[in-house]
Amino acid sequence: MLWKPLHLVPAHTKFDFLGKRRWALGLSTLINVVSLLGVAFIGLNFGIDFEGGIAIQVRAKEGAIHLDSLRETVGALHVGEVALQEFGDNRSALIRVQRQEGNAQCVAHADNVMKRRAGDGWVVKPGAPNTGDVQFTAPGALDATGWRDAVSRVGLTVLERQLPRGTANVANIDMTPEQRAEWCQQVAIKLVEDAIGDKYELRGTESVGPKIGGELMHSGVMAVLATLAAIAIYVWFRFEWQFGVAALIAMLHDVISTVGLFVLLQLDFSLTALAAVLTIAGYSINDTVVIFDRVRENMRRYKKMGLIELLNFSVNETLSRTLMTSVTVFVAVLALVLFGGPVLYSFSIAMLWGVIVGTYSSVWIACAALVYLKLRPEQIRGREEEAAKARP
Amino acid sequence: MLNLPRWQTLVIIAIVVLAGLFALPNLLPQSALDAVPHWYAQSRINLGLDLRGGAHFLLEADLRSVFNERLNNLSDTMRGELRKNQVAFREVTVDPGGAIVVTLRDESQRAKAIEAIRAVDSGLVVSGQGDTIRIAYSDQDLFRKKKEVVDQSIEILRRRVDETGTIEPTIVRQGDDRILLQVPGIKDTTDLKRKINQTAKLTFHLVNEDIAAQGAIPTTMPPSTFLVPTREGMQELRRINPKAAEEINAANPRLTPEQICRRFQPQCIPVLKRVVVGGEDLDDAKATFENQQQGGRPIISFAFNGAGGRAFCNATRANIGKRLAIMLDNEVISAPVVQSAICGGGGIITGSFTTQQTQEQSLLLRSGALPATLTIIEERTVGADLGADAIHSGTVAAIVGTILVAVFMFVAYGPLFGGFANLAMLVNMTLVFAGMSLLGASLTLPGIAGLVLTVGMSVDSNVLIYERVREEKNNGRSPFSALGTGYERALTAVIDSNLTALIAGVLLFGFGSGPIRGFATSLTLGLVTHLFTATIFTRMLLAAWVRWRRPTELTI
Repeated sequence: MLWKPLHLVPAHTKFDFLGKRRWALGLSTLINVVSLLGVAFIGLNFGIDFEGGIAIQVRAKEGAIHLDSLRETVGALHVGEVALQEFGDNRSALIRVQRQEGNAQCVAHADNVMKRRAGDGWVVKPGAPNTGDVQFTAPGALDATGWRDAVSRVGLTVLERQLPRGTANVANIDMTPEQRAEWCQQVAIKLVEDAIGDKYELRGTESVGPKIGGELMHSGVMAVLATLAAIAIYVWFRFEWQFGVAALIAMLHDVISTVGLFVLLQLDFSLTALAAVLTIAGYSINDTVVIFDRVRENMRRYKKMGLIELLNFSVNETLSRTLMTSVTVFVAVLALVLFGGPVLYSFSIAMLWGVIVGTYSSVWIACAALVYLKLRPEQIRGREEEAAKARP
Repeated sequence: MLNLPRWQTLVIIAIVVLAGLFALPNLLPQSALDAVPHWYAQSRINLGLDLRGGAHFLLEADLRSVFNERLNNLSDTMRGELRKNQVAFREVTVDPGGAIVVTLRDESQRAKAIEAIRAVDSGLVVSGQGDTIRIAYSDQDLFRKKKEVVDQSIEILRRRVDETGTIEPTIVRQGDDRILLQVPGIKDTTDLKRKINQTAKLTFHLVNEDIAAQGAIPTTMPPSTFLVPTREGMQELRRINPKAAEEINAANPRLTPEQICRRFQPQCIPVLKRVVVGGEDLDDAKATFENQQQGGRPIISFAFNGAGGRAFCNATRANIGKRLAIMLDNEVISAPVVQSAICGGGGIITGSFTTQQTQEQSLLLRSGALPATLTIIEERTVGADLGADAIHSGTVAAIVGTILVAVFMFVAYGPLFGGFANLAMLVNMTLVFAGMSLLGASLTLPGIAGLVLTVGMSVDSNVLIYERVREEKNNGRSPFSALGTGYERALTAVIDSNLTALIAGVLLFGFGSGPIRGFATSLTLGLVTHLFTATIFTRMLLAAWVRWRRPTELTI
C-alpha cells in the first residue's frame, strides 16, 4: 500500500513537559493577571444581551454602506451612545444603540415618531412628575379601539383600563418608570427606523430591556460557576480530590484567558460568547480527563515511578491523541470562522482560541497543579491495594 | 474480545437504519415530501426563528397593579359587608404591601367583623390585633391567582395573535410573571403589537322577550332590537354547512349579526341594542360550584368593578324574570334568566352546565381584556432573508468543516481506519438529526455551530482508540490483540471525557434561552449519540473487519 499513516508526533517522545512547568506557570499567571486587569480597567465589550440596548442589522438598498454618514445620521438622533460596525459584507452593518432611559428625552422622541407616523396633530408629553405616565393628545376624539391602534404605532401595549372611558382626545397612560424605560427601547427602534428607512433595509432587530440584561448577566455567571463546580466534583469522584482541584484550576485558567481574549480583541461579549466560554471549559476538561485517565492507569502499572516522571510519561504517551483531536476540532472550528457568517464570528474566534489554550492547559496547567497539590502515588496505590484486599 | 453477540449487532444496525429513516425527511425536497405519508414527512427538524425569520418577544405581566386593583375592589366589598352587619369602622385602607387594613371603632366588634369578612371569602388570611384587622390573600391563593392571570393572558394572546389558526405561534409561560411569544415568519411587529392591544368585544344586553315570545322571528325588527346568533348556533352552522362559515369569514364588508341570522338561519336571539354593561367593567369570571345545600352544580361566578356593578344592579332590579344576553364578538355566549336584583358587584350564572362548560364559558367571559399590562422586555426579530443568509453560511461552514475533518482522518489513519472513523462520524450526525427530528427540537444558527463542533469532537473517540491501538502494536502485540486491548483500554477515557463535556452541555441547556438552547441541544445530543457510535458502533465495525480479513499486519 502506498499510504503511510500520519504520525503527528513520533511514537516514543520523551519531552520533559513537567520540567518546564515553572515557565508555563509564569506564562499562564501573566496571561491570567493581564486578562483580569483588562476586564477591570479596559472592560469587556458587552453586547446588548448583558447590558440591555438595541442592535439593528441593516443593509444598504443600493451600493456599499457608508459607515460615516450612517453614524452621523443615527448619532444625530440623541438616543445615547451609538456603535457601528460592518457586518458580513460591505453592504451590511450592525448598529448598536445603548440601553434607553425612560426620561423626558424619550417622550420627546415618542412625540416625534407619533407626529411622523400618525400625523402632525398628535402630541406626546410626560404625565405627572415622579411617575412614568405619558400623556397622548389626539387631533380629534377617539374611542378605545382608536386609542389602541394609535398607541401601538409607538410600540406601546396598553390595557383597557389605562385608556379613557368613552371617546376623548386626551389619554393619560399610567406607567411605572420601569415600564416606561422598557417602552423607550421600542421608541428608539422606531426613531432609528424612521431616520434611515429610506436608504437602508432593516434586516433584523434585537432589543433587550434594562431589566432582562441584568438578569441574563447574573444567570450567565451562575451557569459558568455551576459548570466548573459540577465538572470538578465529577472528576473528584472518578479520580482523587487532587485531580478535581487540578481540573478546576485548568478550567479557570481557560475561562479567564478566554475572557481576556474578548477584552484584547474587544469582541462582542454576548450570550453566544458565554456559550463559547462554557464549551471551552467542556472541551478543555475533555483533554484533561484523557491525560488524567492515563496518569491513573500508569500509577497502578509503574509502582516505583516518581510523580514527575510518571506525569511526563503519561503526557508523552497521550500526546499524539491530544494533538490529533485538537487538530480535528481546530479544522472544524476554522470552517466556522471562515464560513459561519458574522453572527457566529465572535463565538468561532473564541472557540479557536479555546482549542489551543485548552490543549495547553491540559498538558501544563492541570498536570503541574497535580505536582503542587502534592499528589502522592504511593498513598493512592496503598489505598487501592487495601481495597483490593478487603474484597475477597 | 471485540466480538459482539449477533443480536447486539442486529440491534445496532436496526438503530442506525431507523435513525437514517427519521433523519431522511430533512434532506428530501418538497416534491418528494408530498409523496410520502404525512406523519413521516412531518418528522423534520424545526428551524429556529433566527433561521426561518420571525419575531420573538418576552413579555412581563404587571401583576402588582392587578392585585392592587383587586384589593381595592375587595375593600369596597368589605365596606359594604361591614355596614350591612352593622360593624362600625373608622377606615378600610389598602396597604401597599398587599393587604387590606380595617380599623374598627369598637374593639368589641372584632369577632363580628371577622365573621363578616370570612363570609365574603373564607380563604383570606386574617390577622392583626385590637382594633385593626389585616386581610390578605394566602400565599397559596396568591400563587394560584398569579398563575391564573398569566395563563389567561396566554389564552388571550393566542386568540389574538393566531386569529386564523395558521400562524403557529409559540406562547409559553416563563417563570412567575413572564410570557414568551414567538411568531415565525413576520418581520413587521407593529401589526402584532396592535393585535396584542386588541380587545375582544364583550357586552351584556337584555333580551327582547316580547319578540322572543312570538316564536317565529318576524321579518323586521323594531329599531331598538337586533338579531344575534348564539355561539352554539354558529358552531352548529359551521359543522353542518362549512361553506357558509367560509362565506361569513370572507365577506367584505363584514356581515352584521342580523345579516348572518337572516341568510344562514342559525339559532338566533333578539336582543336590545342598548349595552347594559361593557366587558371593560368585568373584573373577573371563574368556574366554580354552588353550595352543597343548593345542589353543588357547576356555575360561573363573575365580578364587576364599581361602575359596572352599579349599572348591573339597576338593570337587573328592573328586569327580573327576563333574560340577559352575554355577547362576545357578535355571538351570544349565554343568556341566563335574571332571578333577582344583583347588586353585590357580581353574580353567578346557573344552568345545566358541565364543569368543562363552566370553565370554557368563564374563559370566554374573561377573554375580553388582558388582565395585566404586558410590557415587552425583550424583542428580537429576524427577517426571512437574513435567516436564509444564516442558513446558507451555516450550511457551508458545516459542509466544509465535515470535509476538512474527514480528509484529515483519511490522511492520518488511512482509507480503512480513517474510513471507519468517518463512517462513525456520519452515523453520529444521522443520529443527531434523527434525535432532533424526534424531539421536535429547533435548529438555530448556534445549533449549527454545535453540529460543526460535534463533527470535530466525534472523531475523537476513534482517535483515542486508534492511538491506543498504535501504542499496543508498538508494544509488540499481534494485530488482533492490539485492536482488542487498545479498544478496551481507551474505553474509560472515552466515557469519562464525554461525560464531563456532557455536564457542560446540560448546564448550558438549563441556562440558555432561544438560540443558545439550540446550541446546547445539538451539542448535548451530539455527545450522547457519540457515546453510542464511539463505544458500540465502532466496535462492531472493527470486529466485523477483523473477522473478515483476519489481518496479520496492522497499518495504522
